[in-house]
Amino acid sequence: MSASIEIAGVSKVYDGGVRAVDAVAMDVRQGEFFSLLGPSGCGKTTTLRMIAGFETPSSGAIRVDGADITHVPAHKRDMGMVFQNYALFPHRTVAENVAFGLRMRGLDKATIAAKVKAALAMVELSGLEDRRPAQLSGGQQQRVALARAIVIAPRVLLCDEPLGALDKKLRQQMQFELKQLQKKLGLTLVFVTHDQEEALAMSDRIAVMNGGRVEQVGTPTEIYNQPTTRFVADFIGDTNIFRGERVGPNLDVGKGLILALPPSEMQGTGVLSVALRPEKIRLIPRAESAAAGSSAHGIVENTNFLGGAVLYRVELAGGHRVLVQQPNAGTSRLFVPGNGVTLEWTPADLVVLKD
Amino acid sequence: MQTTASPSLPAAQQTASVRAPGPARPYGRYLYLAINIAILVFLLAPIAIVVVFALNPTPFIQFPPVGVSLRWFEKFFASRDFMHALGFSLEVAVLTTLSATALGASAALALARGNLPGARLIVATMLSPLMLPAILTGLALFQTYVLLDVGRPTWGLVAGHTLVTLPYVVRTTLAVLHNFDLRLEEAAQNLGASPVRTFFEVTLPLIKPGVLAGAIFAFIVSFDQFPVSLFLVSPGNETLPVTLFNYLKFDLDGTIGAASVVSIVLAFVVVIGLDRTVGLRSYVKL
Ligand SMILES: Nc1ncnc2c1ncn2[C@@H]1O[C@H](COP(=O)(O)OP(=O)(O)OP(=O)(O)O)[C@@H](O)[C@H]1O
Ligand SMILES: [Mg+2]
Repeated sequence: MSASIEIAGVSKVYDGGVRAVDAVAMDVRQGEFFSLLGPSGCGKTTTLRMIAGFETPSSGAIRVDGADITHVPAHKRDMGMVFQNYALFPHRTVAENVAFGLRMRGLDKATIAAKVKAALAMVELSGLEDRRPAQLSGGQQQRVALARAIVIAPRVLLCDEPLGALDKKLRQQMQFELKQLQKKLGLTLVFVTHDQEEALAMSDRIAVMNGGRVEQVGTPTEIYNQPTTRFVADFIGDTNIFRGERVGPNLDVGKGLILALPPSEMQGTGVLSVALRPEKIRLIPRAESAAAGSSAHGIVENTNFLGGAVLYRVELAGGHRVLVQQPNAGTSRLFVPGNGVTLEWTPADLVVLKD
Repeated sequence: MQTTASPSLPAAQQTASVRAPGPARPYGRYLYLAINIAILVFLLAPIAIVVVFALNPTPFIQFPPVGVSLRWFEKFFASRDFMHALGFSLEVAVLTTLSATALGASAALALARGNLPGARLIVATMLSPLMLPAILTGLALFQTYVLLDVGRPTWGLVAGHTLVTLPYVVRTTLAVLHNFDLRLEEAAQNLGASPVRTFFEVTLPLIKPGVLAGAIFAFIVSFDQFPVSLFLVSPGNETLPVTLFNYLKFDLDGTIGAASVVSIVLAFVVVIGLDRTVGLRSYVKL
């Protein structure tokens, strides 16, 4: 039966004083696909290793279904783990690798054989039972690692960049399959990745980490549409970030550009940062006049053809550079560098950021 | 046939046929064979001479040999002194192998994993008997035993042999530990194996090739050991090399050759036996 995890104010300071994880607090719900996302060195692996029991937190507590497991040794935690390099036992066959956890649980031979067979069928590896890991492709090894971890019906499945070593095509296929399997089995899954697309595509919720801290926890849409911090807005997808002084209901971001703040943010004074996604801006041929606060004139500086969409970099009259993404509406409607254009947006699409 | 290389040809031969088509090809191959045969002859010649010596009916080697006889083997096996020495040598070699393997493998594990301060210094100290002439080690041990007034017990000899064979086990075990992926142990624990179980299920099987190689070295070095033994054996309880040495001082005949042949065969049997029972071969292709 899968479990919920509560990470309560956990910090990890390694010997030598590196504060790898800093007061991380988050809850992983039962049956949830939960991703830890962040740049290299932000403490994702360390967090996962503390959940698995390979590292002891310097402070704070980890609870599974409400029970404190902070000091329970790894082999008594009943969690499955898929390692980045798979960590398959090289001296054992595929079947023996998958059977390992069942053997440690003292199950009888017939039960083990049946479960191993079922697990290998689930990851579509039937027929490779007697191979050694070295005789498998990367994708097959990945499946063995997955089968080995889920065959013990763990309370929690932990994955540390499990798809990192696969090529793009196989990676997308495995993303899909892993997600299917997780839903089918109702697994609580904590998934570490530094690939934001992967996290957005697969997760029920994402914790974005930076410098050992959690910046934001939310669903993929929340993380993308309502980033709460400058770091999250910047890290997830392309975005335009403006920083300026409040002037009444507007934000003066300098160089002659005034942005109307969203209705909910009109009160207050002081300095503020806002984010505006490139695809939330409309690009039209240069208009006669521009509505103050929600449009601006500019010149297309360069274009980046993405296939289904086009990413433009536009230099505004005052000198700001803005990214604008437009759907590919046909060759005759595309802009080319040097075109004069007008940008339009809806003030409600501006997202106010904490620094 | 010459333009399309058959797929069953070894790769080296295929490239050779590409580079030098026509009649030039076989010469490279003959040269290659000749060099290999020369190396083998060089390595095996001493053994061949010993065998000829052992099978030669006269006390001194004559060319051409005057016949083949097993009389030196008969003499060797009939000699109580030699048989006792052979048994004692085997006993010491087995005890040495056990103690050097247990100590050396444990030490290597502790040194590779334990985060010990001064680990490098400890490794260097443990390996130092390899660098010292064994005769110094023997002399030092002899003096130590005299100082401690312990006499010349068998365990003293085994301790001396352990000292000079330990470096082999430490070295070979450290080498496999150096390439050991610690995540394999974590994976085992994650799957529910206690630390002790993890050691026997994962760590030991994976370092076994290194430990076994060290054990084989230990056995052979101990069985063959002369300088250390010379100082530490007690009269009437001598190892085979010491007995042979004493015999040589007064007699030189084919018995020495016969004893050498028996030693070689025994060493062979040990290596093959270890291979068959604990399986060196299954690890070669990981
Ligand atoms: N055993 C260790 N001893 C000391 N410092 C460590 C140790 N392991 C990790 N660190 C440090 O802790 C920080 C976080 O490391 P961690 O491995 O958790 O990052 P990560 O988010 O998983 O990064 P990546 O995406 O590169 O895998 C890094 O600065 C790293 O150098
Ligand atoms: Mg990592």
